[in-house]
Amino acid sequence: MPMEHPLIQAIVAGRRKDVPALVQQCLDAGESAAAIVENRLVPAMSVVGEKFKCNEFFVPEMLIAARAMNEALKILEPRLVAAGVKPKYTAVIGTVQGDLHDIGKNLVAMMWKGANFVVIDLGVNVPAEQFVAAARRHRSNLIGLSALLSTTMPAMRETVKTIRDAGVAVKILVGGAPITAEFAREIGADGFAPDASSAADAALALLQGAA
Amino acid sequence: MKPTKTMTSRERLLTTLNHRQPDRVCVDFGGTYVTGIHTSIVHQLKQRLIGPAAAPTRVHEPYQMLGEVDAELRAALGADVTGVWSRKNIFGYEANGWKPFTLFDGTPCLVPGNFNVTPAPDGGWLMYPQGDTSVPSSGHMPKGAYFFDAIIRQEPLDEDHLNPEDNLEEFGLLTAEDIAYYEQQVARLDQDVKDTGIVLMPPGTAFGDIALVPGPFLKHPKGIRDISEWYMATAAQPHYVHAVFEKQCEYALKNLETLIAMFGDRVQVLALTGTDFGTQNSLFISIPTYRDLFKPYHQKLNDLVHRKSSWKTFIHSCGAIAALIPDFIEAGFDILNPVQCSAAGMDPVQLKRNFGKDITFWGGCVNTQHTMYQTPEAVYREVRERIDIFNRDGGYVCNSIHNVQGNSPIENVLAMFRAIRDSGQA
Repeated sequence: MPMEHPLIQAIVAGRRKDVPALVQQCLDAGESAAAIVENRLVPAMSVVGEKFKCNEFFVPEMLIAARAMNEALKILEPRLVAAGVKPKYTAVIGTVQGDLHDIGKNLVAMMWKGANFVVIDLGVNVPAEQFVAAARRHRSNLIGLSALLSTTMPAMRETVKTIRDAGVAVKILVGGAPITAEFAREIGADGFAPDASSAADAALALLQGAA
Repeated sequence: MKPTKTMTSRERLLTTLNHRQPDRVCVDFGGTYVTGIHTSIVHQLKQRLIGPAAAPTRVHEPYQMLGEVDAELRAALGADVTGVWSRKNIFGYEANGWKPFTLFDGTPCLVPGNFNVTPAPDGGWLMYPQGDTSVPSSGHMPKGAYFFDAIIRQEPLDEDHLNPEDNLEEFGLLTAEDIAYYEQQVARLDQDVKDTGIVLMPPGTAFGDIALVPGPFLKHPKGIRDISEWYMATAAQPHYVHAVFEKQCEYALKNLETLIAMFGDRVQVLALTGTDFGTQNSLFISIPTYRDLFKPYHQKLNDLVHRKSSWKTFIHSCGAIAALIPDFIEAGFDILNPVQCSAAGMDPVQLKRNFGKDITFWGGCVNTQHTMYQTPEAVYREVRERIDIFNRDGGYVCNSIHNVQGNSPIENVLAMFRAIRDSGQA
C-alpha cells in the first residue's frame, strides 16, 4: 500500500486545508470515490490508529486527522451515493441516555468511517428505543454505545437489554471511560473497545466473526 | 512509630504534607471541587449519622452538584479538611440567597438564589450563566441525571484570525468584591475553623481545564469554546494557546500574591489546577506537549507560592498519568489528586514506592467507578488496603478517586468511612 500518497500523508498530518485539492487530484486521475475511500482514507486512518496505540498520537492529533478525513468524505460521500456504492457494514452509534459526553463517541464514529463503515450518529443522550429504531431503519450490523460517566453505566445496561429484547440482529460494541471488558460481558454486549483507536478493529472482528 | 498524642485536624494535615506519620490517616471529603460528595449522598449521610435534625444540605458546587460537608458532618465523618472556594461558582454566581430545591431522585436540598433552571426538552434542566434566564443556557442536566454538563456555545471559528483576548474574558485581577469576599473568609477561618486543614481554591489558576473552557459562567463566550476544538488547538495552534496561558498566568501570579498576603498561614494547601491530562489508558497529550505548553506556567505559579508562602500546591488530574508525575514534581507540585489507581500504570504500590517521598497522594482510597457499586465488603477491603499502602510515613490524604457519585449505594459509602475509621484504630 503506497503510504507515501500525498492524500494519506495530509490526512495523517491533519492538514485539512490540503485535503480537498488532493481528493480532486485523485478524482481527476480517474480514481473512483470508492477506490479513494478504500485505498487512501482507510489506510490513512489505520495509520492514525496505529500511531495512537503506540503513543505517537494523542487525542488532539487524532481529532485533527479525523477532521481532515471528514473533508475528504464531504466530497466523496455524495459521489458514493450517486454511484449506488454501499459499504459492507452500517453502524449506529450514540451516547446512552443521560450521558452528554461525545468526544470519544465522535472519535469512534470517525474511525469507523475511516474503516469504510456507513455510520449513523444518533448524537448524545439517546433513549434505548432510538437505537432499536435506527438499527432497524438502517438495517445496521452494529450498534456502538458510549458512556463516560459511572452514573450512566446503568443506562448502558438498560440499552443493551432493550436492544436484545427487541430482537434486533446486531452486534453491540460498548466503550467509554468507566467501561471495562468485564462490564461489557456482564451486561450482554458482544464486545468492548478500550479506546477509539481499537474500536475499528474490535468492530471488524465482531462483524467478520459473525459473517 | 505511631504518635501517641491526638492531633488536631490541621496538625494532622501538616504532618502528612511534611511526609511524617500522623496519629491517624488524614481525611478529606468535601474540601475541594474534586474531593467532594454528591448532594444526594451528603443528605443520606446526614440522615444516617446525624439524624433528622441535621441542617439541610446545601448544593455549594452546582455543576457537579456537590453537597456542602459542613462542620457537623465533617466531625461525624472524621474529615480534617475544608475549603475556601472562589467567590463565584462555575455558573458564575455566588453561594448565597439559599432556596429549597428537589433533585431528580427526590433529595431535598438548598441551592443558591441564582440557581435558576428551566425544563430541558428531554425532561431535564437547563442552567443559566450568572442565573440569567434571558440569555442562552450554559448547562444541561439530563432527566434523572445527577449533575450538569456544559452546553457548547461555539461561535463560528476563523482559524486564521483568532484573538487570544476572546479566551481571556474570564481572567483578570481580583476585584474589590473578590477582596471583600476573601476578607470575610479570613475572618471565618479565624473564628470557626482554626484547627481544621484549609485548602484555598483560587480562580483562574487552571490552564486549559476543559470543564472551564466552554465558559459556562459567561453569557456570550467568544474564542475557542468547543472542547474538541480546544484539544485540537493544543496541537495545531500552540502559539494561540500560549498567548492565552501567558496572560492568564500574569493575572494568576498577581492574584496569588494578593491571596498569600491575605491568608498567610491560615491556609495549608492551594488547589491550583484540575486540568485532566490522562485517559483511562494513556495521556491526553504527549509529554513534550505538557513540557512545552503547560509546565512553564505550572512552574511559575509553584515557584511564587513556594517562595512567598508555606502552602503546598495541589494538582488534580484524572487518568493514567504516571508518566507525567516526574514532570509534575519537577514543576513544583506537592500534592497529586485523585490518584486513579484503576487507570493504566497507576498501581498504588508502585506509585508510593516511586514517588511517595516527593509527592503527597490525595485520593485513591476507593474506585468510585466500579468498587463503589459492588458490596460493602469489597469497598471496605479496598479502602483498608489503599490506606495501608499510601499512609506509610505520611504523605497521604485519604479520599476516594474523585467525588463520591450521587448513585453510590449508601451502605457502600458507609463501609468506606468505617474502613477509614478502623484504619486509624489498627
